This record gives sequence, structure tokens and C-alpha cells, in this order.
Amino acid sequence: MLPKRDNPAIMETGAVIRVRGLKKRFGEHVVYDGLDLDVHKGEVLGIVGGSGQGKSVLLRCIMGLEPFEGGNIELLGRDTCKLDTKLRAATNARCGVLFQDGALFGALNVLQNIQVPMREHFDLPQQTMDELAMLKLGMVGLPEIAATKKPSELSGGMRKRAGLARALALDPEIVFLDEPTAGLDPIGAAAFDQLIARLQRMLGLTVYMVTHDLDSIFAICDRVAVLAEKRIVRVGAPTELQANPDHPWIEEYFRGERAKRLMPNSNIVMSAAEGT
Amino acid sequence: MSPGCRVGISWTWEKKRGRAVQLGATSVSEQHASWDIHADAGDGILVITASGAITIRTIGALQRSLSEKLREVVTRKGFGDACINMSGVGVLDTAGAWLVHKTATELERAGMRVLYDSVRPEHRSLLDEIASGLLERHPPAKKPSIFASAYAGLNRVAGAAGSQALDIVAYFGLFVTALGRLLLAPRRMRLTAFVHHLDHAGLRAAPIIALICFLIGAVIMQQAALQLSYYGAEVYSVSMLGMLALREVGVLLTVVMVAGRSASAFTAEIGSMKMREEIAAMQTIGIDPVETLIVPRILALLVAVPLLTFLGDVMCLAGGAVVAVFHLGQDLPSYLARLEESIELRHFMAGMIKTPFAAILIGIIGCSEGMKVAGSAESLGQHVTSAVVKAIFIVIICGAALSMFLASIGS
Repeated sequence: MLPKRDNPAIMETGAVIRVRGLKKRFGEHVVYDGLDLDVHKGEVLGIVGGSGQGKSVLLRCIMGLEPFEGGNIELLGRDTCKLDTKLRAATNARCGVLFQDGALFGALNVLQNIQVPMREHFDLPQQTMDELAMLKLGMVGLPEIAATKKPSELSGGMRKRAGLARALALDPEIVFLDEPTAGLDPIGAAAFDQLIARLQRMLGLTVYMVTHDLDSIFAICDRVAVLAEKRIVRVGAPTELQANPDHPWIEEYFRGERAKRLMPNSNIVMSAAEGT
Repeated sequence: MSPGCRVGISWTWEKKRGRAVQLGATSVSEQHASWDIHADAGDGILVITASGAITIRTIGALQRSLSEKLREVVTRKGFGDACINMSGVGVLDTAGAWLVHKTATELERAGMRVLYDSVRPEHRSLLDEIASGLLERHPPAKKPSIFASAYAGLNRVAGAAGSQALDIVAYFGLFVTALGRLLLAPRRMRLTAFVHHLDHAGLRAAPIIALICFLIGAVIMQQAALQLSYYGAEVYSVSMLGMLALREVGVLLTVVMVAGRSASAFTAEIGSMKMREEIAAMQTIGIDPVETLIVPRILALLVAVPLLTFLGDVMCLAGGAVVAVFHLGQDLPSYLARLEESIELRHFMAGMIKTPFAAILIGIIGCSEGMKVAGSAESLGQHVTSAVVKAIFIVIICGAALSMFLASIGS
């Protein structure tokens, strides 16, 4: 893995997403109660948490797909509660979202899917859009032949790559990834991790990644935010959380059997931490 | 071009409300970009100075203007080198890098050597990535001529019709062999499923079929009486209704209704099982899907359709009776008496003989379309639609063919 801080395009000028005191309920079920989160410019942030803790709901709240009861969310320096429809669309256009199964439009082929955001927001000649879409296709590592295929003709991994190409169509500042490696084989998942890391370096992206995958976290995340007890209980570098979990769920997650198998040398760190 | 002559083309584009964004130390307008092209024939160097934010927001306008002006300069020849100066570029995204790269490629194609000057390292790496990762756009496929596509379409339709006919025969074979196996081991017969489908496809269809047949019977009676009254042959309207209802209308309305209701239901049920791999799971457990899913459904239709047709026939005649009594002023006993003298058992049988054919066709089409469902919800929707269309189409064709046959053998 290459160090991530070598790209001067990544300049940390504060938080691009700032969530303060978020409250969200589904009927009687309280999902968040006073959730705070900062996402810095140019970082890869992983959001982890048990099933049903509302990892994806947070993403939907930030993108304005889900209303919330209290607190506020600042996206790219704008308070999302105060945005009108037009400004909301303009702000969303500066973000790209990769949904779990790509969420490609079934009636369009891959190339047309990538062109949808361009067509919606800019007036570009068709040939330019075709060439740009082919460029994005190449960037996410899809073969040329995939361009004219319908989403239903692609494999799960290819659909995710095509979805990522669409998310990157407008060169967004923030990319949201919802479980990018779920349902991929380990080799495909590792390749996808490396793709995200490469694109993040190349384009200076801020990546907000909802994930379960310990491999991904250790491979590409700068920081990890842990969602538990209706809020973000801890944020820190993966190695830091592993060395010093300080919470039963984090302990279980980063030091359970799977984590141990994944990081054989981390035993040293752990025993050192336990020894103190 | 005379030496020393300087061609200067400068072009700037700015949107009215340029938004300033903070990017590190430099503040640049996000919506402002420009190219300056200085073609100095004296030293033979073409200098292009790019500045501002070259992004997807600005490339549309940049490109439109740039390409023609560049062409104008390039056609004058005489330039050995081109230099792209990017010191003034604040923001460069992939779309912008693509445009710069494309411009450089065009210049190279015109025989120039292209040099980049004062490129920021992050822009440099982006340009390199673009240059290395660029996929060639394949030329769009040629549109076939209208005759060729019409021929191809006809070919496809004929092929589909052929394979559909083959499908029906194949599934009929599966059904018969499974039925044969079940006759040898009757305990394996899925009685619960059979009763369930008899309820859903039969009993629950009864009210709607009764209502439709009653109304159509009434309408036929009324029209027959009206038209025949011009010839003074009003008395024959009852026998006309009787013939029509028993031979054609009762059975036709019933099978069309069953085709619409049950073919779609069968396709949806079996298709959703196919989608969730339940059918594959059944096979791994050792359960035969034909025996458990297809046979009970077709058997249920084989029982339900004749019964529903009988109901439809009766309701048609009842509708006719109501019109005769309340609208035409006949009395019920004379209506019944005329019915009795004009129709025979063979007319009733001519209608009923069609029902098992229709039942088997509807069942086979519904089930086979369900088995063809692939992994997606769209595929399920498509197959449900095609099941209904095919089932209605085929039962009408089959009914018409049988009617012609029965009429010509004098039954």
C-alpha cells in the first residue's frame, strides 16, 4: 500500500461533512440520539457498526434522502436543512454515491448511465460525453466491451464498478460508498479497495465508506468511525482502535477471531497494550 | 506566413456568477477558464496558455471555441513545437485533463512535438493517468437497412413462434410423464396443492365469470331479437342465443378469463420461486418441480375450466332469459320450451369438448413462462405479461380451430 498523504492536491481545510447532535427515529425506534461526526477533506473514512445500527441511514440523512428530527448536517459548508431544492441539487451534484448494487438505471446501457449526471447538469456535445464516459469506464477498470451492455448483463463486481463510474461522472468532491465490497469475492474485493485508493489519490477525493469489511478498513481507511449506542462512539485510525478499543463492540470487532487472523502481527501490539 | 507575423487568438469564457472557492492558498473562480493561443511563426513555437478552472463545468464552452481556432492555426503549418503552459491552471479535473490531453494529441497528429510547461505535480499525475488509462471509443455500430432489419425482425418472430410451439410440446411431455409416474404411485400426488389451486383458479374465478357471461348473454339476446325482428324472425332469437352461448360464447369468455387470471398467477408464483432459486433447492432435495408445481396446477385447471364453462353457459342463458322476460315480454316457460326444442346435447358438448384443451394450454403456458424467469424482477414482469398474452392468443386460436373442425364434421 502506498502512503496516502503524498498527494498535495489533498489539502485539509476542515470538515467537508459536519454532523452535530443528529436525532433520528423510525416510529418508536430511535436510530440516532445526538450523533456527531466530522469528515475531513481528502480522507478515507470508514463507518462501521453492527447490523441495524443505521450505517446506511446516516448516508441517506447526509444526502437528504431521509429526513431527521433534530440536530444539523453541514455538507460542503452548507447547512442541509436550509437548502432549497435547487441548491440541494447543486450540492448533491458535487457528491457521488455508489449504492449497494450499483443502482444503475436498468433501461440504459453502461455508457448512458455514466452520462446521466452530465446530461442533467451540463450542456456538452454527445461526442464529448461519449469520450468522457469511456474515460470514466477506463478509470474504474471496466473493459471497453462493457460500454454498450445493460446493467442486467453485468456481473455484480462490474455493476459496482459501473456504479462507481457514474458516481465519478462529475468529478465529485465527496464519494459515498455503501458497502462497496459486499458480495464480491476476496480477490475482487481487494481489487476494488485498490481501485478506490488509486482514484482517491488521483482525484483527491474525500471518501465516506460504509462497510463491514475488515480487510477494506485496514487496506484503505485513514480513519474509522464506530457507530454504536445511537451515536459515533469512537473515531480513529484503524490501528489505533485495534490497539486501544475502549468499547466492548470495538473490542469484539477489531480483536475478534477474524481480526486476529487478518492481522497476525497485531498480536504484538495487542499483547503490548494488554501488558500495560 | 511571413516571419515575425504574430497570430494571436485569445479567448475567455466566464459565467456571470462565478463562484469563488477556496483551494489551498489560491482563490480561483470555479466557473472561469481560458486558453490563450499564441502562434509565433518566427521561432516556430505554438504557445498555448491555459488558465483558470478547467473542469467539466467549463470544458463544453472551451472545447467549442478551441477546436475551430486550433484548426485554423494548425492548418497554417510551419510550427515544429507546441508548448502548453499550465501555470495559471487552478483546478483541473478528469474532464479538463481529458481536454488538455486531447488537444495535445491533436497537435501531435498534426506533426508537432508537444511539451508541457509549468504543470503542477498533481495535474501532471492526473494527465499521466488520463493518458495511460484512456480507452479508445469504438465506432458506433452501423445501422442496418430497413429491409435487413425487417427481415431480421420477421426471422426473430418466426423463430420465437417455433420455439414457443416446441416449448408447449415439451412441457406437455413433461406433464404427461409426471402424471404417468403419479398414477403408478398415487400417494405422491400433491392433493393439498391441487385443492389450493382448484380454489384459486376455479372457485374464486366463479363470480366474475358468472357476471360477465350473464351480461353478454343478455346483450346477445337483446341484439338477436332486434336484428331478427326486421325479418319477423324474432322467435328464432332464443335458439340463436342457445347455440351461440353453448357452442362458443360461454366457453370463450370463460377460458379468456381463466387465461388472464390463472396464467399470470402461475407465472408469478413459479417465476418468483425460480428467482429465489427455490426450484433449484427443490431439485437438490430430490423433489421434482414438475410433479409438485406443474401437475397440480394443470390438473386443477382441467377440473375447474369445464365447471366454470358450465357455469358460464348457464349464466349466458339466464341473462338471455332476463332480457326475454323483462325486455321482450316473453314468459319464462315459453323461453325454456323454445330453448329445449332448438338445442341438443351435441351443442353443449361441442362447447365442452374445447375446455380440456384450453385448460392444458393455459396451464402449460403459465407454468413454462414461470420456469423461464431469470434472476431479475424485470424478467418476472416480462414473463407474466407474455404468459397472459400468449395464453389468451392460443386459447382463442385453438377454440376457433376446434369450432371449425366440429362444424365441418357436422357435430
